Formats: sequence, structure tokens, C-alpha cells
Amino acid sequence: MSVMLRVFLVICAVVVLAFVVRKIKKAQLSATGSIYWLLLSLGLVVVAVFPQIAFFFSDLLGVQSPSNFVFLAIIALLLIRQFNLQSQVTQLQTKLTALVQEIALRDTDAPTR
Amino acid sequence: MSTLIIIPAYNEEESIVSTVEELRAVAPEFDYVIVNDGSRDRTSALCHEHGYNVIDQPVNLGLTGGFQTGMKYAWRHGYDSVIQFDADGQHRPEHLADLVRRQEETGADIVVGSRFVTEPKPRSLRMAGSNLISALIKLTCGVVIRDPTSGMRLYDRSMIEQFATRTDLAPEPDTLAFLIKRKGAHVTECQVEMRDRMAGESYLTLSKSISYMANACVSILFAMWFRK
Repeated sequence: MSVMLRVFLVICAVVVLAFVVRKIKKAQLSATGSIYWLLLSLGLVVVAVFPQIAFFFSDLLGVQSPSNFVFLAIIALLLIRQFNLQSQVTQLQTKLTALVQEIALRDTDAPTR
Repeated sequence: MSTLIIIPAYNEEESIVSTVEELRAVAPEFDYVIVNDGSRDRTSALCHEHGYNVIDQPVNLGLTGGFQTGMKYAWRHGYDSVIQFDADGQHRPEHLADLVRRQEETGADIVVGSRFVTEPKPRSLRMAGSNLISALIKLTCGVVIRDPTSGMRLYDRSMIEQFATRTDLAPEPDTLAFLIKRKGAHVTECQVEMRDRMAGESYLTLSKSISYMANACVSILFAMWFRK
């Protein structure tokens, strides 16, 4: 892992942190929602400071270089995020559908027989 | 036995009036409700002008959400059965009584208004899709449904409950498979004739057909087995 990549990871961590802080200020991100990004940010710094971690796992998994392991780990984290988001969107859709139906049904009279 | 005809309608200003007028003339014994699924045209205005029984959804939910609204209405107002009926004039109201009679004769939970009980299935790409779904249902449920994609179906009270209280049932063939296999529903067919669409365009474009088939296959072969 080159020094440049390590410096870059730290910069990324700082940028992520800055975005998170800005969104929290605007109340567009909840405290719960920020946990993932804080941990990601922390993880980037840890790997940048202790590249031995990346060496260890790349050896363990047979990944050619430690930097490739870092990319792999980030992709995996993003996929997990994406999966959870799709699940959340589906839950929101279900709730929205129920709300729309409830509004529509309440505005309708009972059938006349 | 009280039966409710559910007519989902999305942008059907050209056909909704003729469809409902024909329904009221041919089958006046049935209650009906139009579910206007957030139409952007005059569908809702026309329904109100004519004094039709209509539920107006403030936004478009798609056929599944609209039909479910109708099912919730039927469930809350205590109907014994429901028949899904197209707003575009494809379905003939003279067959409604046939479906109800068939349900009473057989005690089935679902009666599919089928074009191919006594009539042969024509050969076309669309019917190849229909055959594939039939084969999947036969494979997984051991039941032959000759016209699984027919949109004219009768559901009894137990099925109304399923549709009204769950969030994941679409009025589509894979739901038939789910209800047969996982809920022990008894499904039968009743020969009906259908017309070509009187107005509007078919929603089945090539890309939509492909995703429709993909959805049906994944649902029947995979998702169905894990749903409660």
C-alpha cells in the first residue's frame, strides 16, 4: 500500500466526516443514520494508519495486493448498504401505499344497497 | 351472497363510462366500485358526473395498490366475494353471473374467468408466456390453470381477507400459485369470452412483458416458498 493511497484514505475519511456533520446540522441525517458513515470513516483511518491490517487480510484471502483488499472491502460495505436501502425503500413503499389507500377509503362513502 | 365488482381505472376516460353503463345494464344485481388510481385525465370527473361509486386515490399506486384498495373496501363492507373487472371494456359483464354460479357450484376460493377452458389457445408470443406460467403453476402446485393471466377473477371472502390484510399480494398469476400452494386455496376456471380493448393502449410493451415474465418466474419458483 503506497503512502499516497494511505494519505488519500485519510482525506476521504475527513471528507466523509465533513459531509456527515453538514447533513446532521441540516437535520437531513439522523444520529442512527450517521453511525454507518462514522464507522466507515473510522475504518478508513485505521487502515491508513495500520496498513498491516490490509496486508494480513489480503494474505488470508489470497488477494494480490493490500490495496485491492481495501477496494474489495469498500465495495462489500457499499453492497451491504445498498441491500439495506432497498429493503428500507420497500418498507416505505408499503407504508405509503397503505396511507394512500386509507385516505382514499376515508373519502369514500359506504356502499348504498 | 353479496358480490362486489372492483374496477381499477387509471386514465380510462375513453372507456370508463361505456364500461360502467354496460355493467349496470347487463348485471344490475351487482354492486361495483371504481378505484380511480390517481388518473391524470377526466376519469374521476366523469365518474362523479355520472354519480358512479368511485374511490379516488390521491396518487397513482399501480394496479396492485389500486386493486388492494378495492379489496380493503370489500373487506370492510362485508362482501362475500369480489370480481376484478377491467375498465377498458375487455371484460363482458354477462359473464359475471357465470363466475358467481361457478363459485357456488364448486365452492372454490378463486374462479378465473378463462378464455381457454373450451376454446383452444391461439399460438402467439403472448400465449407462449401464458403457457410458461401455466406450466410453472402445474409444476409447483399440480393444478392446471389454462388462462393464468386473465384479469377477470372472482375471489371469495377468505381471499378478500388475504388481499385486504397483507401487503404483498398482486392480482397476478404468481399470486394464484402462492394462494394455492401456501394458503390451500381452491382455484377453478370458468369459460368466458373477452373483447379486444375498446380504448387506450395495452400496457404490455416488450420491456414490460419481459419484466412481467421475470417477476412471475422468480415469484413462483423462488420467493413464494419463503413468504408467510
